[in-house]
Amino acid sequence: MAYPTSHNPFADDDEEDFKPKRSGFEDESDSGMTDAERRQKYLQQEVMRTAHSAVDSSYRSLSLIYESEKIGVETAEELVRQGEVLKRTDKMLDNMDEDLKTSQRHINSIKSVWGGLVNYFKGKPETKPTPEEPKEYQANERLQTAMSGSRGHEDKYQASHPNLRKLDTGGFGAAASMDDGSSRQNGYPQNRYLRDAHQTLDSNLDEMSSGLARLKNLGLGLQGEIEDQDDSIGSLLNKVDKMDAKIINTNQQLKNLK
Amino acid sequence: MDNSGKEKEAMQLMAEADKKVKASGSFLGGMFGGNHKVEDACEIYARAANMFKMAKNWSEAINCLNQAIDIYTDMGRFTIAAKHHITIAEIYESELVDIEKAIAHYEQAADYYKGEESNSSANKCLLKVGHYSAQLEQYQKAIEIYEQVAMSTMDNPLLKYNAKEYFFKASLCHFIVDELNAKLAIEKYEEMFPAFSDSRELKLLKKLLEAHEEQNSEAFTEAVKEFDSVSRLDQWLTTMLLRIKKTIQGDAGDLK
Repeated sequence: MAYPTSHNPFADDDEEDFKPKRSGFEDESDSGMTDAERRQKYLQQEVMRTAHSAVDSSYRSLSLIYESEKIGVETAEELVRQGEVLKRTDKMLDNMDEDLKTSQRHINSIKSVWGGLVNYFKGKPETKPTPEEPKEYQANERLQTAMSGSRGHEDKYQASHPNLRKLDTGGFGAAASMDDGSSRQNGYPQNRYLRDAHQTLDSNLDEMSSGLARLKNLGLGLQGEIEDQDDSIGSLLNKVDKMDAKIINTNQQLKNLK
Repeated sequence: MDNSGKEKEAMQLMAEADKKVKASGSFLGGMFGGNHKVEDACEIYARAANMFKMAKNWSEAINCLNQAIDIYTDMGRFTIAAKHHITIAEIYESELVDIEKAIAHYEQAADYYKGEESNSSANKCLLKVGHYSAQLEQYQKAIEIYEQVAMSTMDNPLLKYNAKEYFFKASLCHFIVDELNAKLAIEKYEEMFPAFSDSRELKLLKKLLEAHEEQNSEAFTEAVKEFDSVSRLDQWLTTMLLRIKKTIQGDAGDLK
């Protein structure tokens, strides 16, 4: 089928569909109208489709963000629990140290009368005052500052966002008017759907941004907490080593007493 | 079979532990090595319990653990006792399905942890208690627990992200009891914890309250579905929401 020279590749496809229907009309003017209409409808459908898929994808992203937040939160709880355990281990080790010192005194007094007298003069070893009322386990301080800092950033982000929003609707405002121009009746509802889609998209994006901000803070907090715990584990390791040596020492002394 | 082998071993260990405990009871034992014997006994009990668990002989395992707990609490080592309570509670939860006993053990464990200032571990146990109490319709208890946990985690910068979840659960329990309670409670929580107001959970609660006022179970289902599409609702939440929905339909039935 040889068509009259058509400048538009789209026109070819469209005309193929329309030709059988509009048989009576003149080709030139007719194909122009149907061309434009067809193309317009096609573009409108494309726009709706992309808007829908964007909204869907934003919902998916939102749910992913919430999921990550949930996991992050559970991790945080576990971390804090671990931190408490470490702290308690530390306290226990201190207690063990105290006990070892006491047993050392006893050994000294058993070993020799002189040692016993020395002990009497030395007096009780200062019982280390039980470290200040074990306060509620304070997670990292840095987190607090990170939080207040990010809140400031979030305000700035909010300020920039409405600008972006204006651009969006501005762009689509143009498209809307284009629709209105040619097919008034059909254009309007689609505008509304588009507007709804965009509004949903915007609110979802807002939620996503706040969710991401929370995730970021959570991550920072977790990092600080882990670093703290790393340090405490290191110091615990040292204490345990020293304790080990002391215990071996004490055992030796006890054996020698025999 | 391996199982029966383990059982025999476990029985042996238990017998050994029993002997040690009895031995320490005697006068001489008490004077010299009594304490050591008892400590060893606990450890042996714990090992025996583990073997019983592997052999899937749950009641014996619980028996051993109970013995061990008694000894540990006598010695004042509550942390280990708490851990054993949790093990027992888990067995009741999953294998022997006796929720009441599970709750009792979790509560006991939480108390011990609180005594040892391990608040996070205590909270973990309390949450389980609240979870099961609500399932057993002991709503008042569940509400108290969730409120308590929420308020204690509210201030901790790392844990506060979950506080809203606990307030949500407490509000749901209030809701099942009485709608007005729920409204008052939600206002109170919003005041205490502003971050709660931004959460999607609160928005869901408000929609549910509306739907309940209008006795509109469709709107209710709609709101729940919407929430579910973004963050999945777990088993417990679904059960609670279904109960609330029944009260809507129940009221509608009365009106007719």
